[in-house]
Amino acid sequence: MRKHFFALAAASLALTMTACGGAAEPAATTSTDTTAGAETSAPMEAAGTLTLWADENRVDSFNALGEKFLAQTGITLDVVEKPTGDVKTDFIAQVPTGEGPDLIVGAHDWVGDLVKNGVIAPVELGDKTAGLSDISMQAFTMEGSLYGVPYAIENIALVRNNKLAPDTPATLDELIAQGVASGAEFPILIQQGAEGDAYHLYPIQTSFGAPVFMTGDNGEYTAELGMGGENGAKFAEYLKKLSGEGVLSASIGGDQAKQAFLDGKSPYMITGPWNIADFETAGIDFAVLPVPSAGGQPSQPFLGVQGVYLSSKSENALLANQFLDYMTSAEAQTTMYELAGRTPALTESADAVDDEILAGFGEAGKDGQPMPSIPEMGAVWTFWGAAQISIIDGSATDPAAAWATMVTNIESAF
Amino acid sequence: MARAVKTHTRLRGARWWKEVGWKHILALVVIAFCAFPLLYVLSASLSPGGTLTGSAKMFSEVSATNYVKLMDTNFPRWMLHSLIVSTATSVGTILMAAAAAYAFSRFRFMGRRGGLSALLIIQMFPQMLAFVAIFLLLLTLRDIFPFLGLGELTALIAVYLGGALGANTFLMYGFFNTIPIELDEAAKIDGATHAQIFWGVIMRLVTPILAVVGLLSFVGTYGEFILARIVLAKPENYTLAVGLYVWASDERNAPWSLFAAGAVLAAIPIIVLFMYLQKYIVGGLTAGGVKG
Amino acid sequence: MTTTEQPPLKRGPQLSHARDFSRPGFYVKLILMAFVNAFGVYGILASLPGKDWAVLAFLAVTLVIADYVYFSKRAIPAKYLMPGLVFLAVYQIYVMGNTAYVAFTNYGDGHNDAKQPAITQILKTSDRRVEGTDTFPVAVFERNDKLSFAIVKDDTARIGDQETPLADASGAVIDGDRVTEVAGYELLTLSDIQSRQKDVLALRVSLSDNPDDGWLRTDNGTLSYVAKSSLTYDATADSFTTPDGKVYTADATRGLFVAEDGSTLTPGWRVLVGVDNFTRMFTDSRLSGPFFKILVWTFVFAIGSVVTTFALGLGLATIFNDDRVKGRVLYRALFILPYAFPGFLAALVWKGMLNQQFGIVNQSLLGGASINWLGDPLLAKLSILGVNLWLGFPYMFLVCTGALQSIPSELNEAAIMDGAGAFKRFRSVTLPLLLVSVAPLLIASFAFNFNNFSLIYMLTGGGPNFVGSPILVGSTDILISMVYSVAFESGVKQYGLASAMSILIFVVVGFISWLGFRQTRKLEEIM
Repeated sequence: MRKHFFALAAASLALTMTACGGAAEPAATTSTDTTAGAETSAPMEAAGTLTLWADENRVDSFNALGEKFLAQTGITLDVVEKPTGDVKTDFIAQVPTGEGPDLIVGAHDWVGDLVKNGVIAPVELGDKTAGLSDISMQAFTMEGSLYGVPYAIENIALVRNNKLAPDTPATLDELIAQGVASGAEFPILIQQGAEGDAYHLYPIQTSFGAPVFMTGDNGEYTAELGMGGENGAKFAEYLKKLSGEGVLSASIGGDQAKQAFLDGKSPYMITGPWNIADFETAGIDFAVLPVPSAGGQPSQPFLGVQGVYLSSKSENALLANQFLDYMTSAEAQTTMYELAGRTPALTESADAVDDEILAGFGEAGKDGQPMPSIPEMGAVWTFWGAAQISIIDGSATDPAAAWATMVTNIESAF
Repeated sequence: MARAVKTHTRLRGARWWKEVGWKHILALVVIAFCAFPLLYVLSASLSPGGTLTGSAKMFSEVSATNYVKLMDTNFPRWMLHSLIVSTATSVGTILMAAAAAYAFSRFRFMGRRGGLSALLIIQMFPQMLAFVAIFLLLLTLRDIFPFLGLGELTALIAVYLGGALGANTFLMYGFFNTIPIELDEAAKIDGATHAQIFWGVIMRLVTPILAVVGLLSFVGTYGEFILARIVLAKPENYTLAVGLYVWASDERNAPWSLFAAGAVLAAIPIIVLFMYLQKYIVGGLTAGGVKG
Repeated sequence: MTTTEQPPLKRGPQLSHARDFSRPGFYVKLILMAFVNAFGVYGILASLPGKDWAVLAFLAVTLVIADYVYFSKRAIPAKYLMPGLVFLAVYQIYVMGNTAYVAFTNYGDGHNDAKQPAITQILKTSDRRVEGTDTFPVAVFERNDKLSFAIVKDDTARIGDQETPLADASGAVIDGDRVTEVAGYELLTLSDIQSRQKDVLALRVSLSDNPDDGWLRTDNGTLSYVAKSSLTYDATADSFTTPDGKVYTADATRGLFVAEDGSTLTPGWRVLVGVDNFTRMFTDSRLSGPFFKILVWTFVFAIGSVVTTFALGLGLATIFNDDRVKGRVLYRALFILPYAFPGFLAALVWKGMLNQQFGIVNQSLLGGASINWLGDPLLAKLSILGVNLWLGFPYMFLVCTGALQSIPSELNEAAIMDGAGAFKRFRSVTLPLLLVSVAPLLIASFAFNFNNFSLIYMLTGGGPNFVGSPILVGSTDILISMVYSVAFESGVKQYGLASAMSILIFVVVGFISWLGFRQTRKLEEIM
């Protein structure tokens, strides 16, 4: 009986093993070397495949761009969708494993983190970059090296409901007075939310001459905070005033502000191009204007620049560089504009854009500076928003003191 | 309790209100509490554009466009994946947890007590960094067993089955203990093996708890998105929870109305499943059966 | 309930049927085990080429144990425990082990990879274009399997390779600004370049014999530029040197190349840092301030959540375990509605509903009140508990509904005979019996809520913040969300620190739970 059992077990084992063994080899080769496999097995013309990560808002435009790129170079662009919040984290975590993509699409303020982790490679495109706007190049430059190819610029501006306010005064105080006089529920909408929103307040803050960091001679940020001092204190007091007038409130988050504007409850909203499509769908007659100054100096919103980064561990760096090359072309930049509706980073394409709304945003952002991209900016954002909201909701009774504490806290967090 | 009063004649008037009627009122109150936030979602799903939480007005516009649009997205595919993964996980969980509970309940062995507590305590380990570890693990496994690697539904099921023991075992263990051991003894005298006792005697008597554990595990995996989004990696592979999470993850550009419609549809399978399982959880048990 | 008093069932010669060939079950088992063995052996073979020794060892050991367990007449409990334990070991214990390991490293932003990739990356970023130099359209040629770059400089064609600096090319044809032919060389087409991209990228052609002049390189195969490295790596000294003599030496304890003046190179690499991450939790003065407040609230939140959800769940389960209530099938199904929606959605919706100015709770339910649900420290805590009640009671309701079925109706009938009222019956019969089977789940629920990061994060983000605190924590932060603030939100992700802190929290929760289990065991023995 026992012998039988062993014989049976051994036989069945051997059978299944050979069955598996037969399948083992091809399975192993395809899984260990996917990129090479794709290259050799692809049709003659195809020169290779590049993997690019993009978030759900950009997947479609990059898919379309990829088709044009394929037609021109024979290189396939495999666009993989990643959740917005995961693109950067996953990229940093996966590059060391060799699993990451060749390219990622993201905002310029990731540069600091990505460089610090050694996951992106510098890009050298020679004269190709000459056509890109200076500000977009500056955004992707760190310690003298360019770390990505910018393709679009966006910033916030003042959006006016023309039905509720036909013209706009020159200062924010007058604007608020106008809004109050119009009888609308809110004179102007500036989204905040429980954690604050320093980004949407930044045009106002800069009009007091209190930029987040001081800028050096070359226009790049220095590590010195510019928010402190007298100008910062003035802005802090102004926040309290705005909150007293019911303009700012922790209750007004992005969703609430947008809905109120859609419902015609306010003649003005400070917002970015991402909400424009919904305003158009809702049939609102609106205009895009610069944010009026509150403190006397020009208001300078942050500029956000979108671009493509190259992985430092890309196995296809040469092909990837050819794609980056292509990204600098007028064809690519104009295509991206048509698909995504943001101002192109290439001056030639930007000049060709004939769109009143984008022109409005461009005008509002003409004095703007790129968002700082140093890694420590994460700490700045949280302290900054928290301090503003504590002034707005009144939990900090002395605005200037709360502002000074914030500056100290940020400096000690560095 | 219920059976004790079954023989009573039909209650009427004040007595009915005192003993039964108030329960209906209570049920309505609780349902209002449960459903209210979800009405909000339903309202957003029927409104053609705009925001999720921007307005306190509900049902100001009603249109089915979001549901129609939803069918052109990956949503139906995600739904299918979710049903596959959750079904497989709950079946696997029931089998493994029941087997473990049987061992803990019916055998005495070294480390039994400690083992039972350890199972629960292990599940308390914070999963904050699980994403790094799971990713590395699946990367390694992919080269050996491709179906357990990144991007595979089977891999996700396997990850979920890692948590099959723990609380589920405990829940079953408590229930198994209430099944009189005399039943086992009787079966053993009849020549049944331990496997026959497990499959033939015990498993038939513990249907309510199997249904509860199955449901808990189904719902748990159905709504899980943290591990799933690491494992599944690509939108074509997503489950419902991951897909919806991704839609909601970019606050500026989130398609709230699609998201809301998706969430409403997502809830339906759970409700249907629970309606179906209720008879096993509550009604499938006769006193005589258990007591032997 | 009485099993603890049972004599051990399984002892000595008691019959196991592990090798009883007369039963069909044996052959089912045999087939299953054949598959398991085939799977295991296949895995062992497949892990050989990749040298995955850990996987190989795990598979081999597991396979031997499985065969022993299922073909032995002993080890009957193991037959039932093994499948679940294998999954547990792979997917949970491994994750724990990995986290524990990370806790002893400096893994995080700036220390993201191993040392060798860090060196490669430093070299790569230091090899960059010399400012103010020209770029040249480049042609790639091949001779004897060796690649060369050819460019047009001062109207003459020049060619060079890795060993030979650029020199005038004989027999070259120039077309515009590009060399198209060199005698004795073969021009690579674009697709040739693409298929040999690694060689092309690695090629450096010196401009002259003087290394200070730099070298020619290309990134895309069409354009070349003059580059020079600002750092040279010395493998024996394990250090980088700049042209002006500054030396960065590897510091193995910090995972960084450090110069004498303290400046460092980016990136660093992962190293073991011992217990540093654990001690930092106690030495960081920014943590000690709010720590106590947060600890107290963590306990209040976790215990409060368990008590409220259990009370509501049990209450509803008991009340609707009554077949005189018509429509209870539908009622029950609707009670679990909150459970059927993804949790993050619920948090988003509640956040909107509790908005002070716009939320439906203030606007419609309370007729335009202006209650600051999420902004007031006390109300925010209550709101969190309320939302968690909404989220959590269906679980308790389900569990209790299931567990109630195991309570023999005879006991209740006997209590009715004794003239006990409904409440008394509930308190003295139902509740104690129920607690025996659900107490461990209550402890598990406590532990879960102790670490319920996502609810806090999505609903209040820990706020309202303590004004002016040097780390951003607030009234509703619990320990795990404080860990998050400290380890991630300072802008630099510190996985090592986060792991260490979460392990410390685990030890605390695990210990409390263990005490709890000892209590419930006593409870069980009493019954």
